[in-house]
Amino acid sequence: MSDQVNPPVRLKGVGDRLWITFDATLPLEELKKEINRPFERLNQLAINARIILDAGEQGADATIINELGGYLKEKFHVGKVTGPPEKPQQDETHKRAGDLSNAWHNHRSEALIIAGRVRSGQKIQAEKHLVIMGDLNPGAEAIAGGDIIILGTLLGTAIAGQPDNESAIIMAMDFRPTQIQIGGLAAAGDASTGNKGKTPEFAKIEQNKIMVMDYNTENPFKRLAWPEVR
Amino acid sequence: MEGKIVVVTSGKGGVGKTTVTASLGAALALQGKRVAVVDMDIGLRNLDVVMGLENRIIFNIVDVVQGKCKLKQATIKDRRINNLYLIPASQSDEKDTIKPENMKWLCNKLKKEFDFTLLDCPAGIEQGFKNSIEAADEAIVVCMPEISSVRDADRVIGLLYSRSITPKLIVNRIIPKMVERGDMLSHQDVVDVLSIELLGLVETDENIVVSANTGLPVVMQKDSKAGKSFIEIAMRMNGHPDLPIEDPTAPRSLWKKLSGKISRKSKVQIS
Repeated sequence: MSDQVNPPVRLKGVGDRLWITFDATLPLEELKKEINRPFERLNQLAINARIILDAGEQGADATIINELGGYLKEKFHVGKVTGPPEKPQQDETHKRAGDLSNAWHNHRSEALIIAGRVRSGQKIQAEKHLVIMGDLNPGAEAIAGGDIIILGTLLGTAIAGQPDNESAIIMAMDFRPTQIQIGGLAAAGDASTGNKGKTPEFAKIEQNKIMVMDYNTENPFKRLAWPEVR
Repeated sequence: MEGKIVVVTSGKGGVGKTTVTASLGAALALQGKRVAVVDMDIGLRNLDVVMGLENRIIFNIVDVVQGKCKLKQATIKDRRINNLYLIPASQSDEKDTIKPENMKWLCNKLKKEFDFTLLDCPAGIEQGFKNSIEAADEAIVVCMPEISSVRDADRVIGLLYSRSITPKLIVNRIIPKMVERGDMLSHQDVVDVLSIELLGLVETDENIVVSANTGLPVVMQKDSKAGKSFIEIAMRMNGHPDLPIEDPTAPRSLWKKLSGKISRKSKVQIS
């Protein structure tokens, strides 16, 4: 029964090809026997079909693929037989080369960007990052799964990194919140020590505490070697 | 031409909505407009006392809505100022006795009779507020320079915008000395947060208390700074939108103080 659930040879259609996944640990003769089963069911559908032989993660050397390919061509008159296409390289250099050209264009934004003033009693919720081009007034609430960036004055309550993203930041051009929360930590704003100079500031978690810093001097992203998707 | 329905609101109680309504009503009437002021605070009426008309109430707004009397019968003419009328609230009913659709009907009638109808909205954002803004064309938000008042005003502004009513702001009860010392928010701070058009700035004025007790409108008291501000606000509402707003906290030289006094007196005489 378990053989039926996870047979050594599986066949599925991918595009205009037939993708055969097989267990390369089996001896060749047994593999041929197993491969007969799905192809016999295909009958004439297999004729001239383009075949991809994939040994899965274990991989298989070219001789097995050639051997099996020859066998399938002879017995079922299939078309071209190849190994699985090589996966595109995912190393850092490759990624960065992509970034420089056009990878950003393909990145789907997960940020909610709104313009305008959020007033007392209003609540803005974003699944990931939240950018407010305007002010967040006292009594208003901004809640985000990721960062909260306010291109204006933060006077209300900003709750970032919900429920448990402790690397989230809250940033505002004029940072005078009623209260902020990042992940599971909360900090109360203090009007008397508020930022009067109107320099942009940001809050992040450092040593299990919410710290507020000058964005111009302490910019946490300045030291990143390469632009990253947040 | 139909008149305008203007709701005077604030969210928070005790910031001076009733005083603003009564004073602006009087000022607009003195400028020759037909004005009705309507007390929307059903169950807790005050506007009649502030205007000194409490002993002349026979019918009220609830009676009009319930068909017990005609609108004219509930409208009380002011003793001192021609063209100024009060429609009082009921003192014994509940706020939800009146429904928004009743207000639409009533305001349509008022528009035909009066150039300006000022609705004195109750504090809060419940039924009384909803009734008041239902048929309003314009809104005046009254705010004191203090944090709790600003927050409530902000909430109300959001609700007004959601009904497509663009509100204007009056910052009331400014105490210039406290602002100078940094113990009170300045009107700029208030405008920064609320970011709506400023209609006027009103200084704290002892004459207001006298006015509320005697029923003599503050705009008719010659030395009242607040009265002067209300006259100017009324002018801005009444065809002079660009009349400059005087900053009560601005430092004044002796000469300016002197000339300010002279011009103030002459203005009161004109009105």
